[in-house]
Amino acid sequence: MTDADDKFFAWLDGELSGDEATAMEARVVADPELSRLAEQHRAMQAQVKGAFDTVAEAQVPERLRAALRPPQGEVIDFATAARARESRRWGSLRQWAAMAATLAVGILVGTAIPSRDSAPVEVQGGRMYAASALNSALDSQLASAPSGNVRIGLTFRNQSGAICRSFTEPQASGLACREDGRWQLRGLFAAPEGQSGNYRMAGGMDPNLAALVDSTMSGEPFDAAQEKAARGKGWR
Amino acid sequence: MSPPATFEAHLTALLPRLRRFAHALSRNPADADDLTQAAIERALRSKAQWQPGTRLDSWMYRIMRNLWIDTARGRARKEKFEAPPEDAERVGEDPRESLHASLDLKRVMAAMRRLPDEQREIVALILVEGFGYREVSEMLDLPIGTVSSRLMRGRTALLAMVGEQ
Repeated sequence: MTDADDKFFAWLDGELSGDEATAMEARVVADPELSRLAEQHRAMQAQVKGAFDTVAEAQVPERLRAALRPPQGEVIDFATAARARESRRWGSLRQWAAMAATLAVGILVGTAIPSRDSAPVEVQGGRMYAASALNSALDSQLASAPSGNVRIGLTFRNQSGAICRSFTEPQASGLACREDGRWQLRGLFAAPEGQSGNYRMAGGMDPNLAALVDSTMSGEPFDAAQEKAARGKGWR
Repeated sequence: MSPPATFEAHLTALLPRLRRFAHALSRNPADADDLTQAAIERALRSKAQWQPGTRLDSWMYRIMRNLWIDTARGRARKEKFEAPPEDAERVGEDPRESLHASLDLKRVMAAMRRLPDEQREIVALILVEGFGYREVSEMLDLPIGTVSSRLMRGRTALLAMVGEQ
């Protein structure tokens, strides 16, 4: 018989193996009509695939690539982000965070933190707490009114109801949550090399931090009024 | 230290293939890129549903195909009341055109468009994108016999349209 059937096409597509493939091969070789059909289909597939391959080989339009580009260098204004609920900017921040969620979180780079009295972090009972300037900034500073070296980013409640605040300082950025009346550090991320000492980090929220914020936050970030009210109540 | 490859980076690397698939499904290049963009947006929104370690390409193809099915229904209703797309009528009008890659693409797209949707997607996935029968059967949630019979009908129709030129 010369009818092309499922088996014939499965053979043509390399879907048969072993004896089945050998048997079909023999059948095609012995049958000039099937041989010709195989040839026609191969040529047709090459033509169709070749035509569509020109698409895959062409440059991808900018609008498609742009949709996937991380917002590098785009300055995320934390104060604005904290106020914005539905804004596009917050949308892109969340997108950033979602993207970063695949990355390991919690890289602590101790070398980025200066030691001695001015150290912004102290360790007690295996836990890290904000100290000195970082502690006072977390206690008193509002996102809308940066002063000193520490900038406050987002303020929000975590899943257990505690208030958390993200911050950026020249050498690192991180997240601290209120725990027994103190700011316990939940994550601390070193500024990328060559970027410490300035506020480049404020431009693009560290993706690790963004992911941590995203996974920690319950609900929406505080707006300016909520942030101020929370400060008035001692961050409880 | 170089950052680990992100979801976005993997997706960006897939873009050429995704566009190729979109062109095989769509009626013209503009629709194809709209479909690609919609698939990217949906992927970014539902990123949490993708399980790292599983194949991102199959996941993306499925997203694109489902979007295409959704929009194809609305489109089919609309096209009933419209003149047939002129590209289809010009197939083979000038034999010299086939020398040019982009016109060749136009012609092949026009032929693909004449296949029923359920054949077109399978022809695109297997003959153009190079997936195996089993992969496509899992991707589209169809029995493998359905995949192979639709493929057979689709490629036979294509051969009649494309092969004779």
